[in-house]
Amino acid sequence: MSEDAISTIPVPSAPKRRLRGIRFNLEVRRDISSWWQAAYLAGFIALGIGISAIILIWAGVPAGDLVDQFLVETLTDSDNLRSVLFQGAPFILVGLSASVAFRARFWNLGLEGQMIWGGIGATFISIHHIGPEAFRLPIMIFAAAACAMAWVAIAGQLKLKLAVNEIISTLLMNYVALNFLYHLLYGPWRDATDGFPHSPKYADFERLPDVFGFSGALPLALIVALVIWWLVSFTRFGFYMKFVQASDKVAGAVGIPVARITLISVLLSGALAGIAGFVVASGQEGRLIQNFSDGYLFSGILIAFLSRNNPIVAVIVAMLVSMLFISGQSLQVFYQIPFAMVQLVQAIVVICVAASEFLIRHRIHIVR
Amino acid sequence: MYELFINWIANTPGYAAPYALAALGLILCERAGVLNLTAEGIMLVGALSGIGATLIMGGYPPVAIIIAMIMAALVSMLFATMTVLLRVNQVIAGLAMVFFCQGLTALLGNLFEWKNQPITGIGRIDIWPLSEIPVVGHIFFSQDMIVFLIVPIFYLVNRMLTRSMVGLRLRAVGESPEASDAAGINVTAYRFLTVMAGSALVGLAGAYISVASTKIWVDNVTAGRGWIALALVIFARWRPWRALLGALLFGAIESAMPRIAAAGIKVPQYFMLMLPYVVTLGVMIWVAWSKRGGATDEPGALGQPHVREERR
Repeated sequence: MSEDAISTIPVPSAPKRRLRGIRFNLEVRRDISSWWQAAYLAGFIALGIGISAIILIWAGVPAGDLVDQFLVETLTDSDNLRSVLFQGAPFILVGLSASVAFRARFWNLGLEGQMIWGGIGATFISIHHIGPEAFRLPIMIFAAAACAMAWVAIAGQLKLKLAVNEIISTLLMNYVALNFLYHLLYGPWRDATDGFPHSPKYADFERLPDVFGFSGALPLALIVALVIWWLVSFTRFGFYMKFVQASDKVAGAVGIPVARITLISVLLSGALAGIAGFVVASGQEGRLIQNFSDGYLFSGILIAFLSRNNPIVAVIVAMLVSMLFISGQSLQVFYQIPFAMVQLVQAIVVICVAASEFLIRHRIHIVR
Repeated sequence: MYELFINWIANTPGYAAPYALAALGLILCERAGVLNLTAEGIMLVGALSGIGATLIMGGYPPVAIIIAMIMAALVSMLFATMTVLLRVNQVIAGLAMVFFCQGLTALLGNLFEWKNQPITGIGRIDIWPLSEIPVVGHIFFSQDMIVFLIVPIFYLVNRMLTRSMVGLRLRAVGESPEASDAAGINVTAYRFLTVMAGSALVGLAGAYISVASTKIWVDNVTAGRGWIALALVIFARWRPWRALLGALLFGAIESAMPRIAAAGIKVPQYFMLMLPYVVTLGVMIWVAWSKRGGATDEPGALGQPHVREERR
């Protein structure tokens, strides 16, 4: 018997009145072509962008300027393009960080806290002048990764040993990390030269060098993305991760060290977020500032979700998010639109894409 | 020192109220099997609507609070549509909702110029002559309206949940949607409406923060209290009265923070601000430690979407 025949048989026990009028039956699709999938996805992303555009116009951006602001200005203006290319780097890193954790079924929602610890680790090296000048950058990157790993290891161990819900623990730890950052910036690390609550400026050799006139952050992020892609696609570790993601119970039953794979993925995820923190601190202001990690948590989750945890797709999505981010900044300057708008647009797109998956996976029958 | 102590105890219920109400709303949702991570966002919606309605009407905070509850329930329909009707992953949907609400409330607060506008809000009500009793009177009979209503609200919701047919069906839907479906319960309707009702309570918690506590709107006025309420649900093991107890604990900590500083005890300021989150983490770890053997009302199908056509 075919699928259709099964799903249209009326349920005998259902009350009489249900059978009158219109009824919706759902059928699980198993045979959708990838073209239709792409079409549905594109349609719903367009819907999300449409809704966002309406909100923007209502908030006071002239309709004619929208395309100009979002595409033309960000890609043709050399300053903006430079910003987009730089800003893409931390987005790629947090996106990879989220996707590595999600692949091991660990909801790492502590990306911002780990970024903060990455920034703190790197700045510690800078303030105490640890290591020779020539090796300062790699030492700072290493310190950033190590601090962030130590921070995420707490949540990882709590999940593995005591089954403490990592969604809540990692989120709460963001607030702890943020308050610790404030403590440092308003206390021992306050810049003595101008008295503002930010850390002393990094020396020139502690900042990411330019490559062909553009920030070196993007090449760094691209190399990391390639390494992660290689790791998840071509190594035994990546193969095990696929098992854990599909079903941790089955993975355990066939002898895969689930706990170890999870822990390594979590640590890797933390390290990537920590490096992202270093990139923002070193590439943007060249110092730790108060809210340097704001907004990266949701962007990271969005990038991982939209790219379905694929590192290469994540790079593309991250660049688009970066464009949105930079246009959001200019909207703020020109039209006084609060920066929260960027967050709103991202959330609307995620909601639309999530909704599209329903239509990709189900077919709706209308029964009269 | 004695004065300070009485003052601390008397202020605790005001700090505990948003935790208690939000946790109660979340317990309702989760008992129906919907993992509701939206608390932080829905609280913001409640907080902004409360302020907005007060400013528009030029007063009437109780009406504003009811409007805030309705707005929270309406916004939560988006979450309910995603998770209950469209079977979106509840974690993704919940997080997207939080960021959606954060963005939306920041945008609207700015556009309507509700930001940084102080309101009178609701004040304390003294139940004379009981409020004149030394010590006890100040603690129990001089609170604001919502605090007085909390125990009745908890009583009613708990009674509904454990002693009524609606509550039985609601818990059945959370325990095993398949079995409930077979027994003729409309799983979709129960979950959808429970999300709305629970979110109304969460919205009330948010409105309490803005209309009764801060009496002003700033972006992200809830400052992570929604996440703490989520942790409280786990601490309470999905039981309403235990959630009230936990809320009092957190209220006591939060109301102690400014008073410790006032008493002249020197603790670095930002370590003090960390305290609620650190204590929450500590409580979660303690609950996990003591979980072995302890009874829990965690719903069996928490976080699992129900698709009749996929039933096994």
